[in-house]
Amino acid sequence: MTNKKKLWSIFGPVIVALVLVFIFFCLPWSGHHSAKTEQKAAVSLSPTVFKNRSLKVQALSDRHTKYVPFFGSSEFNRMDRYHPAVMAAKYHSYRPFLFGSRGTQSLPQLFNMTMMSKQMQNKKAVFVISPQWFVKQGVMASAFKYYNGSYANLMWVQQANPKSPYDRYTAKRLLQLLGHDGSVGSYATKISQGKSLSKWDRFVINSKITLLHHEDNLFSGFFIKDNYDTRIKPKIKLLPNQLNYADLSANAVKEHDQASNNNPFGVLNAFYNKRMRGKIKRTADSQRHFNYTQSPEYGDLEVVLKQFQRTNTNVIFMITPVNAKWEKHTGMPMKMYYQTVRKIKTQLRAQGFNNIIDYSHKGSENGFMQDTIHIGWAGWVDFDRQTAPFLEKKQPQPNYKMNDAFLSKDWLNLKPTQKNLQQFKSEHHIK
Amino acid sequence: MVNWFASLPNFSAYGTPTYFIYLLIALLPMGIGLYFGKRFEWYEALISFIFIFFMFDGHDYKQALSLIAYIIYQTCLVMWYFHYRQKKNNSMVFYVTVFLSLLPIIIVKFTPAMVGHNSLLGFLGISYLTFRAAGTIIETRDGAIKDINWWKFIRFMAFMPTITSGPIDRYRRFSKDYQKVPSREKYLSLLEKAVLYLFIGFVYKFVVDYFFAQRWLPYVEQQAMAHAPHLSWWVAGVAYVYTGDLYFDFAGYSLFAVAISYIMGVETPMNFNKPFLSKNIKEFWNRWHMTLSFWFRDYIFMRFVFLATKKRWFKNRNVLSSIAYMLNMVVMGFWHGVTWYYILYGFLHGFALVTNDWWLRYKRKHFKNLKSTKLTKFIAGFITFNFVVFGFLIFCGFLNTLWFSPAAMK
Repeated sequence: MTNKKKLWSIFGPVIVALVLVFIFFCLPWSGHHSAKTEQKAAVSLSPTVFKNRSLKVQALSDRHTKYVPFFGSSEFNRMDRYHPAVMAAKYHSYRPFLFGSRGTQSLPQLFNMTMMSKQMQNKKAVFVISPQWFVKQGVMASAFKYYNGSYANLMWVQQANPKSPYDRYTAKRLLQLLGHDGSVGSYATKISQGKSLSKWDRFVINSKITLLHHEDNLFSGFFIKDNYDTRIKPKIKLLPNQLNYADLSANAVKEHDQASNNNPFGVLNAFYNKRMRGKIKRTADSQRHFNYTQSPEYGDLEVVLKQFQRTNTNVIFMITPVNAKWEKHTGMPMKMYYQTVRKIKTQLRAQGFNNIIDYSHKGSENGFMQDTIHIGWAGWVDFDRQTAPFLEKKQPQPNYKMNDAFLSKDWLNLKPTQKNLQQFKSEHHIK
Repeated sequence: MVNWFASLPNFSAYGTPTYFIYLLIALLPMGIGLYFGKRFEWYEALISFIFIFFMFDGHDYKQALSLIAYIIYQTCLVMWYFHYRQKKNNSMVFYVTVFLSLLPIIIVKFTPAMVGHNSLLGFLGISYLTFRAAGTIIETRDGAIKDINWWKFIRFMAFMPTITSGPIDRYRRFSKDYQKVPSREKYLSLLEKAVLYLFIGFVYKFVVDYFFAQRWLPYVEQQAMAHAPHLSWWVAGVAYVYTGDLYFDFAGYSLFAVAISYIMGVETPMNFNKPFLSKNIKEFWNRWHMTLSFWFRDYIFMRFVFLATKKRWFKNRNVLSSIAYMLNMVVMGFWHGVTWYYILYGFLHGFALVTNDWWLRYKRKHFKNLKSTKLTKFIAGFITFNFVVFGFLIFCGFLNTLWFSPAAMK
């Protein structure tokens, strides 16, 4: 072989491959998904759905089926027959689109929402807050990375305003969680310092988003977990045709009593066998030192609220309870828990987020909890009773008044005694 | 000036597929030069400077200053010792010089354990540069290095493809490549290998490792943390997934470094040779992170064995080699960092090497008729692999998080 031929045999295939890949990703692949895929995606709880865009955007703009985003964390995976997705399929005009797994706390949810701000504009949403998110170090970096990707980051960077204290806060958090490396790191650094991105930055971001958009269209429809056919659909026919919350609740309690009879905590038998059996002794008093009152999560929640204000989304909140028997056993300081809830509610109410379902005192009600920290059975029934009317009936326009004092270290670290909360409010002229 | 420097974007070596596009375009004129038998030294210096600049600028700008100071320090030390060695050869002077060469890394590795934060002297890749500098001093003492000057030494230290994470080359080998231009046939065969290695590297680092690092590792870690501080089967999952992540990330990176070196006409040695097919732990260290373990073998293990034999410290040969193994691996543990898990990892592997030698002797004595079959080979490989995985579980520090800083997570 001559040297020239040899050169071609080395680099020819590489050049051809590069050209083909480039063409492949530049083609405007159609990202249309079937109604069936939408249905699956809505309850799959897969990170693929969470991190990408095409599935949720298509579902939320669907004209035939009214999907409502439900934001939360691990509770959505408790799919008994009273789960909101089953209840909605049986009785209601809307379908929940679930965004929530373990670790999807405020900040991952913010990036999730940023990808579909247009679809959330002037619509409704449900947001489930768990006091367990509000640990001292806030969302774990590993959990954040698992539910977030460069697509969401770049979409956030693209619309971030370096003049807004909210966006500067988010940029700082992004740097804390992802580090300064790479291009997202350098964009976030600029935004956190209040500097605008250059024209060249914008050009690079837009072209990257275009490629990721095509990639999303091509691949997101695959790899979705099929919860719908296995865990939702079979349960729809188990519900009575007539909706009567009192009857459902009574049935749910009965069902709970049967399904949780192998343990003194009233948790699902299977959960007890898998996660608790044999560990009862060592978990006694293990949560005595838990503290949710001071956390960066309060600031993270604040940027989520800001996002709701920006999209003028009418949102109803639910604050989750804890299983009272379990917490008594583990020594969780309930005073601290109620203080946490009070702090969260202060932050919500002060800024005009008045639709709050507070379940924090419901943890001792029979049949309300499915396990140690997640609601189920009668809990889900009541959740549906309170959310469905909000989602189905016309609601007055929300009137949110944001206050960036809730991003301050003072607020994040405030010990939420009644006195401290009062003082904070009067200092910042909050009603 | 500092502000401007800190605001520039930072591109870590081989971080994204796009990085290769920039890198290969920048290297193209050099490649053409080498193809026509010319080495454009000034162009190479320029390109190296630019790419190293972007590895250490931006947020990491303090590291850039440390890097420059470090290279000046080591260059002075090496050049001074080279001139001294031409006239005299005092052991004490040699030991002090080696100690001074190791001093920055000793400070950097001990600072976090002593004061709780990272030392300002540190920068990404300091340990790899230390090997190169200390190795050069040792070779100088042996009289193996005849020809060195400050510019050649800096080119060796700051050779761009391998600056942050190896492979660890030796000055003598490197300078031979660097002084000549490969023949056209030779260069073409290097290019052919380079393309192959780059693509295997892409598969390792950007495809396979994506699953290990982005999809599986966070998942198993999360599951294991749910049981913290207690052990669960998920911890075993962490061990295997971390092993896969470490291998595909590091082997992929090493392939890139070797491939880019080839394009620059330098045959940087390979770092991995199918390590998980090893039948015993000694073989593993001949296949895993080879340039590191060979460095330790040549400059710690062998030197210690020679010294101890010369001074007759031990009567028993087996005791000597066992001590040498332990020393070798524990030093390697400390080199990774002064934390309980790195040091335990070193002990564990030292102990494994000792056990391996003992087993070979025992086998020779008591199972003379034991034949090597497919089955025995499989068993040996199985044990070795699982031991290695267990070692990496300790090495990765996950147990530290699990036991000592479990963060509540929902």
